[in-house]
Amino acid sequence: MQSRRHSQEGEDTGIDLAPMLDFTINLLIFFIITTSFIKETGITVFKPEALTAENRASGNLLIAIRSNGEIWMDRRRIDLRDVRTQMERLHIERPDDTVVIIADRDSNAGAVAKVMDEVRLAGITEISIAADPAGG
Amino acid sequence: MRKRRYQSGSEESSHGIDLAPMLDFVVNLLIFFIITAVFVKEAGLIVNRPTSFNTPENPNTKSIQVQILETGEIWVDNREVDARAVRANVERLSAVSPEAGVLIMADEAAPTGVLVEVVDQVHLGGIYNITFSTSQ
Repeated sequence: MQSRRHSQEGEDTGIDLAPMLDFTINLLIFFIITTSFIKETGITVFKPEALTAENRASGNLLIAIRSNGEIWMDRRRIDLRDVRTQMERLHIERPDDTVVIIADRDSNAGAVAKVMDEVRLAGITEISIAADPAGG
Repeated sequence: MRKRRYQSGSEESSHGIDLAPMLDFVVNLLIFFIITAVFVKEAGLIVNRPTSFNTPENPNTKSIQVQILETGEIWVDNREVDARAVRANVERLSAVSPEAGVLIMADEAAPTGVLVEVVDQVHLGGIYNITFSTSQ
């Protein structure tokens, strides 16, 4: 009898969904906040290693330079001359973006320097060169 | 009593609104954000580029020069040094002139791996004011 009365209380509506909704909305808010819309490069690059590489939370425009000098951005191969226009467009969309150049360890330093200059001409001054923090 | 039934208009008068459709909607949003979330954290090293070729830097602060040749050889202070010895050399030179930054002069064709290694070593030596320029 006791148990029956207990079940009678929510008989006409089933379980109470409000706590589940609370929980789900919390999860949703978490994922909305942590989504950072990173522009991935679309290729795998063998990054150099560095002990002092630091994580920067806001580094979200990634430019990859392959060992043969190809520049990849946003899953497309782009020309060096297009880097600036692309960066200017993205910089207008979100002005606090920073750029990480992911250069292959066999790529030329000259290519990295040219890409850095193009990015700087687009008005983004925070540029870092990607490195794996591994190695000790 | 009659008025109340009119307002709620259904047999659910004792339970408020039905949360199930809202929950469906929120779960759909949640799934979208879970799928699109990318947790990419690029670790990187920050290096500067010379702002202009004509601008003379502050003449009082002479910078420590590190050269990287096309072959990946590293020259500090007119001597060829091993990549692991860059730190010691830079520390020695910065002890003489503590305010000096480090200028890395890399060949256009120098591998980026060596460049990052040198930047890492200079960071380990305690200097974070690094400028990177290339030369043919």
